[in-house]
This record gives sequence, structure tokens and C-alpha cells, in this order.
Amino acid sequence: MILAGLPFATLLAIFGAAAAFATALYILKLRRRTVAVPFSKLWEKILRDKEATSLFSRLKRLLSLLVQLALLALLAFALGDPRAAATLIKGRNLVVLVDASASMQATDVSPTRLGAAKEEVKKVIRGLGGSDRMLVAQMDAAITPLGPMSGDTSELERALDSIKATDARADFPRALRFATDSVRGLENAEIVVVSDGRLGDAIDASGKVHVPDEVKLTYLPIGGTPQEARNVGITAFSVRRYPLDKSRYEVMLEVTNTGPEQEDIELSLLGDNNLVDLTKLRLKPGERLPRFYPNLSGASRTLEAKIAPLPGSKDSLPADDHAYALLPERRRAKVLVVSPGNTYLEAALLLDEYLDVQVASPKEYVEKIAPSGAKHDVVIFDGATPAQAPRGHAIYLDPRGPGSPVKVEGELKQPGFDRIERKHPIVRWTALDDVNVSRGHKLVAESGDKVVGASDQGPILIAGQRGGFKFVAMGFDTRDSDLPLRVAWPLLLLNSINWFTDEDSQYISSFRTGDVWRVPVVSNSGQARLKIPGGGELFVPVHEGRAVYLGERAGFYELSGADGSDTAASAVPGSAVSAVPGTGSGTGTSGAGPSATSGAFAANLLDAEESSIEPAKELVIDGKKAGTLGGFQIGVRRELWIYLLLAAILLTLIEWITYHRRITV
Amino acid sequence: MGFLDSVLGRNGPVVTRKGDDDLFDDDFQRKLDYLALVSKRVFAGRMRAERRTKKTGAGVEFADHREYQPGDDFRYLDWNVYQRFDRLLLRLFEEEEDLAIYLIVDASTSMGFADAAKLRYAKRVAAALAYVGLANLDRVSLSSTTDKVMGRMPQTRGKARIFKVFRFLKELKPDGQTNLEDALKSFVAQNKKRGLVVLASDLYDPHGFERGINVLRYNKFDPFVVHVVDKQEAKPKLAGDVLLYDCETGDEREVTVTAKVLERFEHAYQEYLEEIERFCSSKQVPYIQADVSVPFDDLILRVFRRGGFLR
Repeated sequence: MILAGLPFATLLAIFGAAAAFATALYILKLRRRTVAVPFSKLWEKILRDKEATSLFSRLKRLLSLLVQLALLALLAFALGDPRAAATLIKGRNLVVLVDASASMQATDVSPTRLGAAKEEVKKVIRGLGGSDRMLVAQMDAAITPLGPMSGDTSELERALDSIKATDARADFPRALRFATDSVRGLENAEIVVVSDGRLGDAIDASGKVHVPDEVKLTYLPIGGTPQEARNVGITAFSVRRYPLDKSRYEVMLEVTNTGPEQEDIELSLLGDNNLVDLTKLRLKPGERLPRFYPNLSGASRTLEAKIAPLPGSKDSLPADDHAYALLPERRRAKVLVVSPGNTYLEAALLLDEYLDVQVASPKEYVEKIAPSGAKHDVVIFDGATPAQAPRGHAIYLDPRGPGSPVKVEGELKQPGFDRIERKHPIVRWTALDDVNVSRGHKLVAESGDKVVGASDQGPILIAGQRGGFKFVAMGFDTRDSDLPLRVAWPLLLLNSINWFTDEDSQYISSFRTGDVWRVPVVSNSGQARLKIPGGGELFVPVHEGRAVYLGERAGFYELSGADGSDTAASAVPGSAVSAVPGTGSGTGTSGAGPSATSGAFAANLLDAEESSIEPAKELVIDGKKAGTLGGFQIGVRRELWIYLLLAAILLTLIEWITYHRRITV
Repeated sequence: MGFLDSVLGRNGPVVTRKGDDDLFDDDFQRKLDYLALVSKRVFAGRMRAERRTKKTGAGVEFADHREYQPGDDFRYLDWNVYQRFDRLLLRLFEEEEDLAIYLIVDASTSMGFADAAKLRYAKRVAAALAYVGLANLDRVSLSSTTDKVMGRMPQTRGKARIFKVFRFLKELKPDGQTNLEDALKSFVAQNKKRGLVVLASDLYDPHGFERGINVLRYNKFDPFVVHVVDKQEAKPKLAGDVLLYDCETGDEREVTVTAKVLERFEHAYQEYLEEIERFCSSKQVPYIQADVSVPFDDLILRVFRRGGFLR
């Protein structure tokens, strides 16, 4: 027996003091209430009978005192928190990783896998020993410890209740590393993984996760039978506008049957909440069915794909039955062409009906337009370079003089595009390698500028940013080349305008849940307001002009400056929204003008691995098979103080009853 | 018209007296007019009254004949007998005399217990009986006792003396220890004339109630016990650890009062009452238990009559 609470000497002192006090109270007699009676002789007989039993009476009083002393002894002993030595040594330190990934929303067990998991963990909590300590952590795209390592069952149950399922896949390697770190150095450490087993391999960028041998790894499988794991999910959903006809778009989606049986489903495609297409599909077990919807129109903002099982079919996971995408809002961009006259340029701009083109001579620009402060989304300077840069994005064709955003150096003889930055958006779909240029000028890029095209003699195409506005500078007059005769010419122009206005025609799909999103936003307060799907609003930090958020919920999001007056950077021409590298996802942003107050984007699960919900019966990590859970029996606490307290309460109850029954008085 | 007014010859509205002096009202008084105290024994009276005695005399009821003796009153000679038998016989009549009624009220401290309900009740009983006695031209005397005779109202006759009775009773205050034996010995010594003795007491005598009653018996008085009881005393409102003290003797007792103790006390109280009744019954002493909770009219008009004490 070991005292985990107060030391024995202290307990003895406490008991001694309390016992002395109780005894003193028993010895000291309270002054009795004096009551007159008319004839005391009548009482004498009764009192004579009482006197006959006075010895017993004294014994009863002594018994009462002994009961009090026993009570004090029990309470004092309880203060010592006595525990069996064996129990104290064997106290376990558990880290329970509760899977809250999308697959845990499966309803093959009632109410959901996560609900069943919580019930199982509650049983474990109630079966904790007196010396056991537990930490409950939510495992999804991140790992979230929901409290300190504790033996307090109510605190652990509260932590457990706060777990909510997400629409993301679980980052199992990270969770496992966290758990391993949490129990490092602790005796009888145990990691309990409560999951359906759809966790993937425990490998991350640092390699395989190794669980030390001294740490016991157990697996608490959740889920029904493999036959019940029937699910059809949308595993890919992508939308893009046509580059040269942005009123139309095409949709690519993929539906996968991850279950063991053939399923019939109904696939709906909705644009701005209106049904665009409805298809009935039959998928064989394990079949992945891609669908392509070309040349669609009618939706200007939102696109959603939904699947629903037809009678006779079953879909146990609703989380992957809905996919979302946002189309960039279309608007007419105001383009000012400052040129003494260039047919090639004007003709190329005619290709995009969403461009509002205004042509002005250099003189007219200098004398009228520039002083008037008229705003244009894009200004194209063709062979004319103003002394002062315009308040807008600009394309400089053969810039000259001090007004040029880049320094113009010596003349180049027959420069060509020997080096091209092909990933840059302005040269997308263009073939510039064999463009012939008779003469041009070498451009000198400043720090932060991007040399998109260069000849052996020096850069001739540069993209960059000055004063918050983007620019593209080309170091030759187009009429001194065969570029206007090529398809690349209008593409180069339209790509540049799109780059300025952020109307990216290729990546307009959505974010993927479980990734860290970095969404451009303008905020002076260092944080932005994010409206999340299903209501609710939260503030997210803004780092280097981008709101950073780990999204775990599929649906439509809205982002705005924290003070409400800021605008999402997506609304600022030239800004871009991008997911973290490697996700392969694109952006869906507002194309609204500078007056827009918010930007919106969509997020989807789109994870075939997560849609595959067949529960795994065992868990193998680094070749080590996780054991089964044991040693937790409900209702057995190993803390003796509870029983001591119960005994004290019982004694008090007995004393109370005997007092009121006049047995001990 | 009330009794007092009628006695005093006053006319006017009836004034009902309240409080401690309100021993009984006029209606009750009228009812009392028809009552008379019954004595089992026949005592020699001192004055002619409405009560038969052993003596023969100038009454109305014929009793016997006896031989004429010189000096006898000729008026009582039975001339018919002389004519028929030629013998001078004197007609003897039953003489009607008065009865000596002694009303003893226990005025010990215990009688004043709990708002003096018992003493008040005893006073009313005494007043009522005194009135009945006075109305029947008996000689009524009142005494108050503790361990001695505290106060004494000499024998008196006639309804008009009822005020004297009231005054006497009004002045009674509960004070002193009960010792019926000593008190009644004094009483006997002071009253040579035998008669009916009504003892109104709670009989809380630590020396034994029997002794006092026996003193009356042994001295040829006709004792009548009106046992004034307050049944509330059987159920004292006590609980917990208390120090009991006797209101007369001052004896103290530490008692832890429990429901069981109270139950036993009630039992002991009932036993005490039964013991008194048993004693009186065995000694042929008329015994009436006057519970203060019983309406006073009921006690006098019903209980006393049923007990044969009044007719």
C-alpha cells in the first residue's frame, strides 16, 4: 500500500487533531435545557429503568464516539489517497487517437462510425484504473489533443464529446508521431488507435514512423462488416471555362464505387442551384467512372455535383456524395490602347468579347486621359511610354524612356525567344520559339520581376509588378516581327489581360479538404474573416497577403478582410489564389473589381482512398501489428479513497439512523 | 335575573363575569339550584335544615312512638293511640338538619402548573359545590391546603354567602408543596364536626395521596375525591437532553427525552391515575376524575350526577 496523497505523518497529525476535537466534544457536556414538571415522581420510575441500563447507555455513547473516530480515520486515510503498490506501478499512460476523418462519417454502424468510436472510448475511459492517465486526441488532417493527460473521467469524456467528424482524410503519420512523442519517457505507455483503419501507410516526408518497442500499440477497429461498406463517391470534380469563350465551361468528374456490390446511382449536376444535367449510372464493384460534360453554359457562379443511390443500392458515406466548384465571376475588363495605330493589336483584342477596348493616341492619353484619372483595368502602351505609370495594369510594347517599368538597354539584332518561362500564365498555349524579330531592345529585369522570354543577347519579355499593379514589357515592336501573324500573338495578349484580372481560365475548380489553404486577401489587421459552410464565421491569420487556413469541411467559403472593409485579394486584379504546392488543385476566386468586398472559393474531399470505407480489421505499422485493447473494465476504479469516502458516508448514514431511532442516544 | 341579583334582591340586567372570577354563569347557577350534595353517611346536624338526621324532632315525617315521659311536649302525644290502647305514647318525627360540607382545594404549586388550569378548574368545582351546599342550607366550609391548611373559610349557610365563597376562592394562589397527610391532619384537628369533605386536588403528593385520604377516613369524615387532572401533562412537549425539575420540590433529574421515554411516561401517568381510582374504589371513597379539558358544566351536571355525588 502506498500513499499517493498526503504523507502518513501528516495524516496522523490530522487524525490526531480531529480525534482530540471529537473526543473533547464528547467529554464536554452541553448545558441541558431546564424544564419544569408538575410531579417528578412520575419520571422517577422511568429514570429508574433507565439507570438499570446506564452501563449499556454508556457503552452506546462510547460506541457513538468510536463511530465518529472511525469516520475521521476513514476520511484522514482517504486524504492520503492510498493505493495498492502494484496498482501504482502499473498505472498506464494512454494516448487515444480518435479518427475523425471523412470515412468515420460512414453510417454502416449506428449512428456513425465516429459515434460508435466515441462509445467505445467512453467504455475505455470508464474502465480506467486509478493510476491510469489518458490523453484524447482528434486525428484528422491535423492532430488535435483535446486536453492534458488526465485521469479525470469527466474531463476525458468532455474532451471526447467535443470530437466532430471532418471532410478530410486523416494524417496518420503525423498523429502517430504526436502520440509517440507524447508518451516518450513514460512508463506503461500505450497508443490506442480508434479508427476504421482507412489510414494509409504510416509514412511521411521523414520516412516511416517508428513506434518504440516499449510503447504498446493497440487498435480498436470501428465499422461494420465488409459487406456493409457500400459506397459510391465523387472522386474527381473539375470545372474550367473555355479560354476564348468564357461564358461556356466544361466539367470533368469521376464517380467511384468503392463497395463490394454493383450500385445504381443518380448523378445530378447543378449550376447556380439549377439542375444542369441528371444521369443515372450503374457502377460495378470497384469501378471508376469518369464523366465529361463539354460546352456547358448557364451557370455563372456555383457548380455542384451530387449523387444519390437509387432504390436497391446503398451509400453509407454521405461525405463524398457532394462536390462543389465556383466559377470566376465574369465581367467586362476595360482596356485602353495607347497607340498611334496598330491594326494587329486592335484585331487581337477583338477576339475576346468581354473586353471593353478604348483606343487613344499617345498625345490624347497625355493630354486628356491621364490627367482625368480615368480608371482602366489594363492599359496597353504600343510604342509610347508615358512619363508616369498608369494607375492600373499595363502592357508595354517596345517601351522607351524613363517611364518604362524596366530599364531599356542597347539594341538587339534579330533577337529570338531562346529561353521561355513556359509555366508563366502569359505564355500558356503559345509557341514563341520560332518567332522572328528583326530588331529589339534588351530589357533589364529588376528584383522580383520575371523574365518570361529572352534571347541569347538578353531579356525581351518581362512580367512583374510596380506599385501594386502588374505589368508585361516586350522589348520589340510587334510590327518588326512576324508575331502578329501567329496564333501566339492574341493568346499572349489575352493571357496577359487574364493574368492581370485574375481570370484564370484553367484552374477554377476548388480546394481540397485537409490541405493548408493560402488564399490571397487584403487585410490591414493581420487576420481575415472566413465564413465556413453550414454557417459560422471565424478569423484566420493572414501571412504575406494570404489567409492561411487548414480546411476540413467541404462546401463554399467566403473570405473577407477582418474589418469588413478590406477586400479579398482575389478581387484585386493580378492576385491569385493557390493551394499549397503539390495538391494539384486550383483556385476558385472572385473576379470582381476593386469594389468587391469578398472572395469566395469551394472545397471538396475528392479522395478515392477516403471514399473506400471497408474497415480494416487489423492495423500494421512498420511491420508491427497493433494489439487488441484489454484491461479496461467498467466500474472498477483502483482508487481506494473513493471507497474510503463511501465507507465514511455509509457510517454517517448508520449514525444518522441510529441517532434518530434513539439507539445511540 | 342572575343568581347574585336574586340573592341580593337586585334587579337589572345579567352581567356575566369573565376571567378567573368567572366561576360559573347565571344559567349554570339556575341549574345548580336543583342539585344537592349526596352524603352516604348521615351526620348529626346542628341546625334544622333540609337534610334528615338520626335525630327525631320537629320534622314533618313521622318516625316512631315512644313512651311519654314527664316533661314531654303534650302537643306530640298521639291521642288516637291513647284512645285505642289507653297508652300515652309520644309521636316522634324525623328531624331535618343541615349537613357540614367541607370543600378543600389543593393550592399547591403543581395545581398552578401550565397556566394554573387545574387550580382554576378546582376553584370552579368548589364554587359550584359550595353553591349547591348553600342552596340546600348546608353548612359549607372551604379550606385551601398545601402541606398545611393555608386558608379557611368558616362554616356558613345560605345562598347569600356564596360571595364569601367567591372571595375566598379568588384569593387562592398556587404556592407550596403538597403534603395531604399533614394538611388534612390539621384540617381534622380544626374541624370537629364531621361531615362531607370534598377534596379537589391533583393528588401530586410525593408522600402518597393515600395517606391524606386515609386521615379523613379514619376520622369519620365522608371523603369525596375530585381528582383534577390535565391530560396534557401525560404528553409533555419535551425532546432531547433536558434537566427536569419538580416545580414543588425542586428535585432535578437529567433526562434524555426520546419518543420511547415519552411513551413510557404516558404509560406511567395512566398507571398513576388508575392507582388512585383503584384505591378510592377499594376504600369506597367516591372518586370523580375532573379533566380540565372536559367542559365544566358537563362535569357538574352530568359526571357528578352520574357518579351519585349530586342528585
